[in-house]
Parts: sequence; structure tokens; C-alpha cells
Amino acid sequence: MENSKNQAHSCGGQCSCGSKKDGVNQVFEKKSDRRGMLKQLGLGFFTAAAAVNSSCSVTSGEDSKAKADMNWEEYFKGNYKLMSKEERLETIGRLERLYEVNNGTKINVSSKDAHQDVLYGYAFNISKCQGYMDCINACVQENNQDRSSEMQYIRIHEHQNGQMNFENADDNFFHEVPASGHFYMGTQCYHCENPPCVEVCPVEATWKEKDGIVVIDYDWCIGCRYCMAACPYDGRRFNWNEPQVPEQEVNKDQHYLGNRLRKKGVMEKCTFCVQRSRSGKNPACVEACPTGARIFGNLLDPESEIRWVLENKKVFRLKEDLGTEPKFWYFMD
Amino acid sequence: MVCLILVLAACGHHEDAHLSVPQKLKKEANQPVKYTVDVEDQLAGIKKVLVQLGDSLEDFYVPARTTQLKSFPCSNCHTDTGLKPTGKPEKAHWDVHLEHASIQTMECQTCHDVSNPEQLLSITGKAISLDHSYQLCGQCHSEQIKDWKGGAHGKRKAGWAPPRVVNTCVECHNPHKPAFEPRWPARLNTQSLKQDKE
Repeated sequence: MENSKNQAHSCGGQCSCGSKKDGVNQVFEKKSDRRGMLKQLGLGFFTAAAAVNSSCSVTSGEDSKAKADMNWEEYFKGNYKLMSKEERLETIGRLERLYEVNNGTKINVSSKDAHQDVLYGYAFNISKCQGYMDCINACVQENNQDRSSEMQYIRIHEHQNGQMNFENADDNFFHEVPASGHFYMGTQCYHCENPPCVEVCPVEATWKEKDGIVVIDYDWCIGCRYCMAACPYDGRRFNWNEPQVPEQEVNKDQHYLGNRLRKKGVMEKCTFCVQRSRSGKNPACVEACPTGARIFGNLLDPESEIRWVLENKKVFRLKEDLGTEPKFWYFMD
Repeated sequence: MVCLILVLAACGHHEDAHLSVPQKLKKEANQPVKYTVDVEDQLAGIKKVLVQLGDSLEDFYVPARTTQLKSFPCSNCHTDTGLKPTGKPEKAHWDVHLEHASIQTMECQTCHDVSNPEQLLSITGKAISLDHSYQLCGQCHSEQIKDWKGGAHGKRKAGWAPPRVVNTCVECHNPHKPAFEPRWPARLNTQSLKQDKE
């Protein structure tokens, strides 16, 4: 399909299209050399440290050595986008094992790639949303968001009928809903076709996948928050503290680019629940919505519901004049 | 002359760059997609029936209702008297209150077949199976049924991937009281409240 072909060529030179490697890739390659050197240098130091450690504690020696080993490898791994299939599986293996060692329970981290001929799109019916906020609860649970700072990807804005000014909207309503004379509008990451957040990232820790989902490599993010400043839609969130999720509430079905546990000092945001959507499911917010205000599907499929909405309802997007091309439309009955 | 060449060059290429996503989709993505993903495993255990609107079969499904209803078939309760009402009909199913349309427009018999409660009746008195109750609703709610068929109204079962199984009307709307009840939001955004107070 023409669309996906175009996307393949904007890959920044990692595909087989034969384009010249750009500056960033050159830096990445150099870095991997430096990494290798650091690895070798560090290995001697590490072995000594491990020897000291195991001589102090005989019983936990083996375990803690394996753990330190994995932490070491994790620390020096590369950008997910540049990893080979084997490297991806290795890091996922380490993440799963580390979680098991630390918490005693198993998680399942996926590295499932985008499906062929799929470009995700989303539509939000502002006549249907009643402000029940079930979507936010589902999102927080699904995506292992920090409970202590009450991190939320979705915001529901209560607008007065006849206007759509976000400065006048009530984002903290807590009364019986729907309030008469008001309508409700949800915002989240819009997974723009021209995402400004991706443009500004100095380390290429965020990018647009082939199925249109804008993702973050949480282990490559340096926490500079340029992307947060660049996003015109308030779509990105920052972890100011170590995220806290009670162990029994952790969603164990995870994706490397999706809901795996984050750490302090990195960005995160809605990923259209990549761990769900790539296995055919709807994002958690769509599934939780009791009013059917949220519609999700494949934009490349002319038979899909989302395409029907785009072609048959009056749709609009926010700040269309910016040319960001959000893949998130609003419509009315 | 140079200017002219520049202008011509600028007009000559990148025509697609000016197309928005919906325009591009309309132009380029109009072939059926061969999917490598489906939600069949999540639909396991759900009996689905093909949707039929008018005389034509649609290419999507609704979950069967008759397998979900606790009080179906009616003969589960009506063991000795038979299905035909023997006493006063207004005393039957006393817990059902009709808050749908005005009494001028509808009463129990507008949708239910009193002589055979196991099926529904269309406006013209034709039988409609409980599995296909959307046909009954669509008689009056023509806009909604159009949106439901297209995908703007209603809710998918399982996921976005094929096969397309959607909730039938009465899975979200109580047919006797179809409006959604006002209620309190599921949560309070306390963090923003805290920030506002600071």
C-alpha cells in the first residue's frame, strides 16, 4: 500500500531502502563501539565487585550475581528501534527475569511488531460522552500508571454547550453527570501523522511506528521533556518520581513500548494500548466506555467503522491548522 | 526566467504532501485488507448471529440474546398455564415499567406478541426473533440504526480486528427504559484539585 511504503522510507535509513545513513545513525553506531569498549573495561571491575559480593554472602551470591549481571546488560543496551530481533528478545528476557527476581511473580513482556496494512485511528463522539470517567480508571489499571502522583493519560473536559474553549472548561468536575447544558470531551495523545514531539527528541527515544502509534523507549529517554513542550495537545506525561504501582495491581501483560513499568525521570503517554491493539483488542478506554463514545480501528481498511465515521459523520480535529494531522477525530451524532 | 523555473519546479512535485490523512486514505486506501490478526479467541463461547436488515444479510454479527436471557424460553416458568395469559395481563411481569415513549406511541403489545411471548412483533405484525431485536428498534430509530450499521453508534465486542461483532441495542439500553441514567463519575481527579489549591 502506498501509504505504508511512504512510511517505510521515512525510517531514517534503517531499512533496506539503501538511503544514506544520517547523522543520528552515525552517532548511534559510534556509540555501540564505545559501549562495547565500556563493557570490556567494566567487566574487570564488575568481576571484582561480584567476587567481593559473593564472598560476603554465600547463599544469595549466585542470585545477586545473576541479577547484577542482568542490570549491567540492561544499563548498556541500545535503542529499541535499532535492536535486532535477538537483542529485543534478550532484553525482554532480562526484564521478565528481573521482575521475577525482584517481586516473585511473572510478567509477560511482548515485542510484537506492527501488523501489515494497519494504521490505527480513533474517533470520539462528543454527543455520547457523559463524563462517567470509566475510561480513565481502565487506562490507569491497564497501563500501570503511577498511583502516587495519580498519573492519567486521558483528561475529560466539561464544556458549556455552545462553546469549546479549553480555558473555560472544567477538568475537575465531580457532580452527577451529565450536567445539564454541558458536554464532555476527552483528550489524550492523538498519535499525529506529523508528530512534533518526535521531531524534537534529541536522542530519538520516541518515534512513530509503522501502524501509526507514537511510542517511547523508556530506557532510552533522557527525561529532557522537549517532547512535552512540543506537544500542542498536552498528550505527554513525565515521571517526576519513581512510579508506584501495588504489586497485586500490576498488569502483567505488557509490551516493551507500552505498559511495562516505567522509572523516575522518563516520559510516558497513551500508546493506544499497544499491548492490546496489536493483538486485535480495543484500547482499554474504548472497552471501558459505557456509552460507546469511543471508536477505534484500522484507517487503511475501507470497511472499518472508523472509516465509516470519517466518511459519513461531520468530524473535526483539534488545532488542524498546525498540520500535525492527529489520527484522533471528534464527531457528533 | 529562474523564478519561473523555480515556481514550476515547486508545483511539479510533492502533490501528495498537501493531502490530509482522510484525503490520502480516500485516495490510496480503498482496497480490502487481508488481516493477519483476529479476535476469534476472545469471542469463544459467544454465540453470534449474522445481522439481517430488511431483506439483505449484513457482514457483521450480534451476540445471540436467547442464549443469554435468564427467563427464556418462557416455558421455564409458565409450566402449567401455558404461554397465553390467563389472568389480568397488567399483573404479569409487574416489575417491568415502561418508560420508553408516550402511551400514545407504545404499550407492551407494540413490541411483544401476547399470543406468543417468545417472539417480538414488527409494526405490521410480522414476527421478529429476540436475537434480531435491533430490527424492531430500527423501525422508529432509523438514524441510530444507520449509525449502528456503519459503526458510529454502539460498541464492538472483543476488539477492532475481524470478525465484527457488535452489541445489539438491548445490551446497552434497557428496552423498557432506554435512556442512560445520570450517575456520579467513576473517579475524582484529585491531583489537579490539589494543584489548584496550591
